Amino acid sequence: MNAENMGTDSPLSALNDTAVGAPPAKPAVLEAKSLRKYFPLRQFNPIGQRNVVHAVEDTSLALYPGRALALVGESGSGKTTVARLLARLYEPTAGTIMFHGEPLKGSARAELKAYRRHVQLVFQDPYSSLNPVHDVRYHLKRPLRLHSHTHSTIQEKQQIVALLNRVSLSPAEQFIQKYPHQLSGGQRQRVAIARALAAQPEVLLADEPVSMLDVSIRLDILNLMLRLKNEEQLALLFITHDIASARYFAEDTLVMYAGQTVEGGPSEEVIQRPKHPYTQLLISAAPDPDRLGPDGKSKTTLPARGEIPSLITPPGGCRFHPRCPFAMPVCSQRFPKRTELGGGHWTHCFLYGDGGTDLAVNSQDNAQKHGHAAHEQTSDDISTRQNA
Amino acid sequence: MMSNEFVEISSNANGKRLLDIRNLSVDYYAASGTVHALDNVSIALERGQILGLAGESGSGKSTLAYAVTRLLHPPAAITGGEVLYYPRSDIRRQRGKSAGAEESRTSTDEPIDILQLSPAQLRIFRWSELAIVFQSAMNALNPVLTIGAQINDVLRTHQPGMGPDSRRQRAIELLRLVGIAPDRIRSYPHELSGGMRQRAIIAIALALSPELIIMDEPTTALDVVVQREILLEIMGLRERLNFSVIFITHDLSLLLEIADKIAIMYAGRVVETATNLELLRQPRHPYSYGLLNSFPTLHGPRHMMTGIPGFPPDLRATPPGCPFHPRCPMAFGACSARIPVLRPSAPETPGQFVACHLYDPVLNTGRIPTNDEFAAEYEAHYEVVQGMERRR
Repeated sequence: MNAENMGTDSPLSALNDTAVGAPPAKPAVLEAKSLRKYFPLRQFNPIGQRNVVHAVEDTSLALYPGRALALVGESGSGKTTVARLLARLYEPTAGTIMFHGEPLKGSARAELKAYRRHVQLVFQDPYSSLNPVHDVRYHLKRPLRLHSHTHSTIQEKQQIVALLNRVSLSPAEQFIQKYPHQLSGGQRQRVAIARALAAQPEVLLADEPVSMLDVSIRLDILNLMLRLKNEEQLALLFITHDIASARYFAEDTLVMYAGQTVEGGPSEEVIQRPKHPYTQLLISAAPDPDRLGPDGKSKTTLPARGEIPSLITPPGGCRFHPRCPFAMPVCSQRFPKRTELGGGHWTHCFLYGDGGTDLAVNSQDNAQKHGHAAHEQTSDDISTRQNA
Repeated sequence: MMSNEFVEISSNANGKRLLDIRNLSVDYYAASGTVHALDNVSIALERGQILGLAGESGSGKSTLAYAVTRLLHPPAAITGGEVLYYPRSDIRRQRGKSAGAEESRTSTDEPIDILQLSPAQLRIFRWSELAIVFQSAMNALNPVLTIGAQINDVLRTHQPGMGPDSRRQRAIELLRLVGIAPDRIRSYPHELSGGMRQRAIIAIALALSPELIIMDEPTTALDVVVQREILLEIMGLRERLNFSVIFITHDLSLLLEIADKIAIMYAGRVVETATNLELLRQPRHPYSYGLLNSFPTLHGPRHMMTGIPGFPPDLRATPPGCPFHPRCPMAFGACSARIPVLRPSAPETPGQFVACHLYDPVLNTGRIPTNDEFAAEYEAHYEVVQGMERRR
């Protein structure tokens, strides 16, 4: 908030502060356990079957101070729903959210306000998240007043100027008067971040904060959020469809597909050694100039095709099985349990076992190398286990 | 303004040249002043090549595409230059004959200046020689017509000799070509997913087997996996049908993978042209380097990336000299005084042209900078900018 809180070390060292793969040093600020969200569909037939959109299934995650968790997936994978559940814009159908280890109480107005004092959301589109008829001062004044951070007009002005300086909008005195239409996309997103910071939160949920912005502005905003994370020990949830920026930005990565979490762990582990076939698909689809051959031709191939299935009647078992090149009969019957792969890396996939049993040991490497051969072996293993 | 004494524009020696854009300038007349959206742009395109245009928003990428297709409307005006198109010498324009891919690819005809075509000529020229694929497929397709009807429409208008049955055959053939099941011919756009709609648009663009397809951010609105599918489809079609593509995107890391040749644009000017490998190995213009390093990578060391500090200039009042000099970490005296022209960058990369005074042996008597020097300068520049922000 104040100038003395800002680190004096070089901004370029920011990435080195957090050792890759190191476990979190502090207890989780915000933790979600087995979150589930179904959206009921409008029903015209009173005796018909009740249909729901299965948006999020059994999702658990934890946010730590000074660390970022990236939530990666295609559109329709439930990323935004998770952020909105965590921001308590939606009530979860099942599951619990714990703040500093305490389960949340009630959803009365006062309780939600107290919660949102600590957990703030930054939206994707800075062109629609700011009110066009109000100036920057108004946008920043409201959270300050709502959360009683300010008691006089002079104090309020000082805090607004300090907020604008924190998000590198300077000279702040000029920006304070401006309306959203007078700002560029990057400046608007900085105002949106400043508005979130005004509540003095411990957790910042950023829903695709840079995808609407121009290329050269994106890094500015990412670096600003990195600085806030490191200097002010904010816990960050970073939602993105760009797996390369997840690697750049976040210590941990969680991959979602059609409402199910399929893989998670330290970002470098997940991205360099992806285990779940969907993570492998996402990475092979991402632009990567390193795949250029010496003749200047790209060697990219896609291991699977298709799109996210309907979530009203999702495929049974693992929802990726209709697209999965390694699908086995068991994949359509039930969702695999979580398999720990070591070093905090885990996945939900039968190729690597079912809940960290001995299956994982012999199939893990084979699946990578031999594909189909490995899955035959694994399915044999599974059938013997089921018979036993 | 002599902008291209060095550029490979004038020769069509090997007959492979398809398009020559020479000194093209476009202005937008606004109440607050004239916006110089394109300033003396010269680019050449060979047959079968994919030319990528990259740059920030407002760098003139789309304006260039619209100028080439003559889709600009007032208040935009083309204020100078020519767009030369080299048609094929064979009898390809007799429609109805199969657009066989085995035909000779040489052209000896006199080039056509697209900017001089009459409306009637333009109508024939568009679609049969040149098609365009826009970013938002939903807006480009008519929501109340089926996909089949929209393909049919193009064929009926441009090839009146074709009967209804052969038009239907052609529509099915086109849908197959882009990977849509033929029974989708009766689908309306809202019944198709985003990726399918974009495929349908590409099918419509291919309807008359054009020589050149301009793709303006064709995959930006799509998800990563679908985007990759479409790109693989485009690459495959190009192999088979041998058309040329001008591919516009802001995603340089994507462009490096698919384009043969890349032109980097900044403030309405081309600042560098190179093959994809040359640009990946050694970007010459400081802006190209900055743009290339604005994209986090999937591999290699994780390091703090600085991007390019500052904002693109207001095109109503472009800075004097090189338009990039206020943001350039390597700017020196000449940069604010003289406009750099495209010139060969270094003896070892004769095909790589750059508009930067660093490569002018008269103005810069020192060495040509390396990637490491670019990185160091950008980092130092970033520290200065951050330091200024902190002190405030």
